Amino acid sequence: MQTYKIFESKHHQWLVFGRDPEKPNKIIDTNQYMVVTKNNALLMDPGGIELFSVMLAAIVKHVPIEKITHLFASHQDPDIISSLGLWDQALPDATLHSPWLWEGFIRHFGMDNIEYSPIPDEGYPLRIDDANLTFIPAHYLHSSGNFNVYDEEAKILMSGDIGAAIEGADAPLYVENFDEHCQKMTMFHQRWMPSNRAKNDWVERVSKLEIDMMCPQHGRIFKGDDVKRFLDWFYKLEVGTALANKT
Amino acid sequence: MSSKQINYFVTTALIAAKLDNANKIAKQLLLTASNARAVALRAGDSAAGFKPLTDFIDQLARVTIASSKQINVLATQLSRVSANKMRTDNAICHFERADRIATDYAYVESLSPAYGRIKRSELALNNKYVGEIFRLNDALDELARELRTAVILATLSRVEASQAALLYQESLNGVADNVELSARQIKTLIEEAKKLAQELHQDANV
Repeated sequence: MQTYKIFESKHHQWLVFGRDPEKPNKIIDTNQYMVVTKNNALLMDPGGIELFSVMLAAIVKHVPIEKITHLFASHQDPDIISSLGLWDQALPDATLHSPWLWEGFIRHFGMDNIEYSPIPDEGYPLRIDDANLTFIPAHYLHSSGNFNVYDEEAKILMSGDIGAAIEGADAPLYVENFDEHCQKMTMFHQRWMPSNRAKNDWVERVSKLEIDMMCPQHGRIFKGDDVKRFLDWFYKLEVGTALANKT
Repeated sequence: MSSKQINYFVTTALIAAKLDNANKIAKQLLLTASNARAVALRAGDSAAGFKPLTDFIDQLARVTIASSKQINVLATQLSRVSANKMRTDNAICHFERADRIATDYAYVESLSPAYGRIKRSELALNNKYVGEIFRLNDALDELARELRTAVILATLSRVEASQAALLYQESLNGVADNVELSARQIKTLIEEAKKLAQELHQDANV
């Protein structure tokens, strides 16, 4: 499992874990993000069961595990949070922030110790030590209860499945040629995102934020002008096309 | 998940299914007892010896129903404990793998408290698992002992049927046949369940 530091200030840092060369071939590659503050850490979309050992090992390279006091699951999918039952044994005093809509479903992954903090549809702010984060609604993109994480100081948006691309574990960390990268994103967004209305609502909301980096859960990170390019591209993209293709 | 862990689940489910079948047969036996009581009443003095037997048939059916329900609950508890045991065993594998990968990492020692907790949990679950298997075996033995009465009941029913008036003999012999058949079927199911429970017992002691 590779680890990259993508932001650092005197208050906190952002780490991304991914590009695991030992990942089994048939499971989708994922990016896990962690915000580390003075005394705590927030682990976002911690991943599937298959990844747990390598994630746990990668984390203790940087912080002691008891420092992880917060988990975030953008939605209910197995590649996002099926490792919960194992984290539940590793972090008995942590809080999981996740959509209220999915609580009864996510608990099926096994959760006896971790506390579930249901995020209401409108989201909420989360202050961890001196880091101010906000859970931003991204419903129907692709899950019907879905959130992103925005960091105002770092100007980072952890965008979950939005901006995802399916490519190999050896892909570069950052988007280098936006136009070429679009080809890797088109099918993913058209097939997994069901609603043009929800998509455009999200683009309008997120366009108001200052974003230097947009960090999806699969594929590469968008930096600088590529963030704006992505928002424009996504706004124009027709999604939910699987039914239309059959007519 | 190892094949042995898969077997735990399958075996406990099979035991529960066998006890469920035994329960159904015992419910039919209750009907037999009720039917026998009606026939004995109609037969009057000629089946005077048969009437008390119907109470025993009724009692045997009720005991079997109650025991099979209780054993079914035990099998379900065992299944739940084995699921938790599997999850804990699985967590230990993951932690040990993480520990191997992170040997030289700065905070590898921070894994120790969580690993210790899981190991303690594994030990407690193992003890609970073995205890549940003992309880299951005991309950099955107890039910098997109760069923020995059924053979005597069937024989006595046949003797009493032969004493009754000719008009009622066929019905009363039918009752004896039903008792015998039901007892044999339940006994087979209990023996099969016992065999499965013993397999669990042997695996737990390996």
